[in-house]
Amino acid sequence: MIRFENVVKSFGERTILKGVSFEVQEGEILFILGTSGTGKSVLLKNIVGLLRPTSGQIWIGDDEVSQLTEEQYFPVRKICGMVFQHPALFDSLTIFENVAFGLRRHYPEMAVEQIQEKVITSLSLVGIHGVEQKMPAQLSYGMQKRVSLARTVAIDPRILLFDEPTTGLDPVTTNAINHLIQGLSRKLKTTSLVVSHDMHCALDIADRIIVLDKGNIVEQGTPEELKKSEHPLVKDFLMEALNAHGH
Amino acid sequence: MLTVISHIIDDIGGGIFFLGDVIRVVSRHKISFSRVADQIWKVTTQSMTTTALAGFFVGAISTIQFTMQVKEFGALGYLGGLATSGTIREVGPLLIAFMLSGKVGAYTSAELGTMKVTEQIDAIRCLGANPILEIILPRFIGIIVSSFFLLAAGLMMSIVGGLVMGIIFAHINPQEYLRHIPTIVTWSSLVSGLFKCLCFALVLATICTYKGYTTTGGARGVGTSVVNTAVSTMVGIVIMDWLTSLVGESVMTVVMGL
Repeated sequence: MIRFENVVKSFGERTILKGVSFEVQEGEILFILGTSGTGKSVLLKNIVGLLRPTSGQIWIGDDEVSQLTEEQYFPVRKICGMVFQHPALFDSLTIFENVAFGLRRHYPEMAVEQIQEKVITSLSLVGIHGVEQKMPAQLSYGMQKRVSLARTVAIDPRILLFDEPTTGLDPVTTNAINHLIQGLSRKLKTTSLVVSHDMHCALDIADRIIVLDKGNIVEQGTPEELKKSEHPLVKDFLMEALNAHGH
Repeated sequence: MLTVISHIIDDIGGGIFFLGDVIRVVSRHKISFSRVADQIWKVTTQSMTTTALAGFFVGAISTIQFTMQVKEFGALGYLGGLATSGTIREVGPLLIAFMLSGKVGAYTSAELGTMKVTEQIDAIRCLGANPILEIILPRFIGIIVSSFFLLAAGLMMSIVGGLVMGIIFAHINPQEYLRHIPTIVTWSSLVSGLFKCLCFALVLATICTYKGYTTTGGARGVGTSVVNTAVSTMVGIVIMDWLTSLVGESVMTVVMGL
């Protein structure tokens, strides 16, 4: 579904991704783990065209997307929904208008009633009801995150990209969001890439995990395979997960 | 020193390319009238009171300054015309631009900067929209159009301010003050004032939207963008004033024989 071939991304003299190659299968939940500043978010933004690789190729299905223009990226973004680290809701729009925003742009032919129905359904999927006419500032941070997720799934993407979806949330909401990601991915049959530094959550819901360090993939495999890894960074992550959750 | 010069050149180049992008979007896409009208209303109402107040006092100041000059020549009858002409050609547009720079420029830059650092602009792109069309263009056109409304309000208030000061300070009657305004304030003064207003608004709209749109680095980055916007717009407007005065006067002299 998604294939990275020797992708390099530099900002001036600084190289963030140093020849990254990996593949994600259709319907898979892939976690990308790493410490801060290792290029996890940069990797996701390259998929959706918010950043372009310095060299290398990115394949989505049968299309190589790294050389597309901003206009050519439009259909790619219709199948690739991204949930950002911040809720990134538009302050001046109601919750309804926020969720309807992508629908109106990606499906201009959609009737008002259909949009209305889709918005309600998408909000229900993330467990939110009756807040359509509220403004984002009237909701808690956790609820804003859910609305952000609803806005992304509303456009029916085949691929879901999550950039540290639980940053800044309390443990209970973190757990709820993580299971929401898993539930939605399975229910909507999407391919999901989740950037995180939460090994416990990755072990819990990922089909496969990639560990990124200083712009290189240092380990990848299923949760069971990773548990047996001898790589020091992976061991640190496992230790941290063990200490934090006591098993 | 070299780094500073390179930053300035980089900024000017970036601003010009950004303006090119805005013009390209204007030429290719249908602009939402309601969103533009919303921005025009917002900018105009936000700055109307301060502009009108400042306009009143600029008119009053001009009258005081001109009173001293014209009294010497026994030409108090020309006071209203001279003070109004000076305000329309030069002080008015400059004043409006500075007012907008302080209020709307800083506000727009902070608003767009916050949208950038909280990934709202990235979200707009991911949801299939063009951020320049959706959020930049309405603000850009809003600033330019509303600057004309504010100019008109500021100029009217400057005439009132000048008139009040003419009565109080120069002891001139209202009819006398207003009599020579149509003689001295020609179409060329009006065109010059409007042209300057357009140029200043263009500089302001480009700088504040560009600075906001290219903000990086969280809350600190937003603060830096706002400060840079304030400084750059002031400098940009003054340079544009010099340029338009130079070009305008040359064109008037050569083409129209004025």
